[in-house]
Amino acid sequence: MTFFKVENLEKHDKDSILFPTFNLEMAEKEIVAIYSTLNVRHTILGMITGEIPISSGNIMISGSSLRKDRMTYFREIGICFFEEGLYERLTIKDYLRFFGDLYNFKQTFDQIFQLVQLHTKKNVKIKHLSGSEKRRVQFARLLIQNPKLYILEEADLHVDMETKRVLINMIHHIKEGGKSVLILTGSMESAITLADQVFRLDEDGLRKIETETEEVTGKAEEVAQIEKESEIIPIGFNKIPTKVNDKIVLFDPPEIDYIESYDGGSKIYIRGDIFPSTLTLNHLEEKLRAYGFFRCHRSYIVNLQKVREVITWTRNSYSLVLDDKKKTSIPLSKSKMVLLKELLGLK
Amino acid sequence: MTFRVKRMYAIFQKDLKDLSKNMYIGSTVFMAVLLAALYGRMDGITLELHFMVINMTFAIVTGFIQCAIIAEEKEKNTLRGLMLSPATISEIMAGKSLVSFITTIVTLIICMWLTGYTPASILPIAIAIILSIFFYIAMGTLLGLLSKSVMEASVIVLPVLFIFGFGSFLVGFIDEYPVLKVIEYFPNVQIIDLAYKVEEGLGFGDIWSHLGVIMAWVVVTALITIVVFKKREMDE
Repeated sequence: MTFFKVENLEKHDKDSILFPTFNLEMAEKEIVAIYSTLNVRHTILGMITGEIPISSGNIMISGSSLRKDRMTYFREIGICFFEEGLYERLTIKDYLRFFGDLYNFKQTFDQIFQLVQLHTKKNVKIKHLSGSEKRRVQFARLLIQNPKLYILEEADLHVDMETKRVLINMIHHIKEGGKSVLILTGSMESAITLADQVFRLDEDGLRKIETETEEVTGKAEEVAQIEKESEIIPIGFNKIPTKVNDKIVLFDPPEIDYIESYDGGSKIYIRGDIFPSTLTLNHLEEKLRAYGFFRCHRSYIVNLQKVREVITWTRNSYSLVLDDKKKTSIPLSKSKMVLLKELLGLK
Repeated sequence: MTFRVKRMYAIFQKDLKDLSKNMYIGSTVFMAVLLAALYGRMDGITLELHFMVINMTFAIVTGFIQCAIIAEEKEKNTLRGLMLSPATISEIMAGKSLVSFITTIVTLIICMWLTGYTPASILPIAIAIILSIFFYIAMGTLLGLLSKSVMEASVIVLPVLFIFGFGSFLVGFIDEYPVLKVIEYFPNVQIIDLAYKVEEGLGFGDIWSHLGVIMAWVVVTALITIVVFKKREMDE
């Protein structure tokens, strides 16, 4: 049943449109991600908290809006901001007890500590924690509130692997408890890894991004095809063209780290830089197969030479971690995992 | 109602714990006590000196702590989380005021013990002191709303410290500059006048005017604080 509704929300900034009218409905147990720019994200969050007035449209949760019933509204919406202050001098336990009192939380904190993996640091002052641990304290606070809708802003940006694992487990736990999560992020990877449904919100409106993987049938054929094609690829021209300010830049395939689909074209990541290309992923996939590239997700192609690690978050969610400075992670869909295992000869 | 009290108490507990670990803000308490200890060693300490210590305590403990703990919430970006919680702004302010109130009472008791001040009659002095604390809490809240960081708070509190903490010295200049006559109506001067009357053994009938003046200060400052808060809320 739908309990969270965004109706006809829009935002104009002077002459430009930040985002046109859009509607979003969420039911229980739904994990939705909205992929957008920082500006759009801040506006949406501001509109949810009431810091930015809503000129037209409405945001409703469980039938109450901010104006009508502030108390219920904020009881049911819990937000984990990317930039949020904590009471640095308090210990984690004191901090959580404080919010427990505010939210009239009656249970013990043990389960929550276990869930966010902070049980060994209960009595540590927050200022002595690392950035990732602080993020987990924020998660714990949200779990104490236990709202109907958890809103997470850039929840896995600049955090370590452990925290990302905690986050994925936590989202799983929230879903099982019959609650929902709305993820606001500027990273497609994070959106795909964490959420079941991914939307892009920009000046063209809210559009769904297909994340379900293609049919697994014909897998064997594909593999066979790979071999066949690798034989017939001509040796001549094999550089990948990209466009940078009306200039065409050519790259050698081995230079490329990975490729993300973007608006009908693609974005090519090379040593932390992004180069847009007009070629589609399907086209690129064909071209690059011979160079050890692998279509690891509907929206991603990765250079297998650069992959360092394959991480299993849950039975259905995987990531590839690259061998670069930032340890970039890329989503790996379930069906492709099987394919990859075959490729690696692990089966 | 009980939930309201519970939430207020939670904020009080949190702020008290936080304050006890905060050397920067907590040090003002030591300053007041140190001052009291120094004056306490002097001979023939006058009523004016006793009250200078008390007024100083009001300014640097009550006013500053109230101002700083509000400013810190803003500076550290924690106020947003608090505002999105079920706690209302009145519960938040009440919890914080209670922290300043109790800290002040404890500090005052230590200071008065150090300077050796025992009023002839406890009740009128106690009422005057409590009313004064209300005034300084309102003043601290007002300044806290105006400042954005603890640094700013410690600067903005200086004029208050000067006017209300040392203000009683300015009384000496009234003959020279008649303009300064307003100072006689300041709460810090009123409380001294009141204390003299109490020492003379006068009853409530003679001191109510002083209490009335302090009360008026409380009401006016509280009203200004509410207006400023409403205005800020509108702006945001």
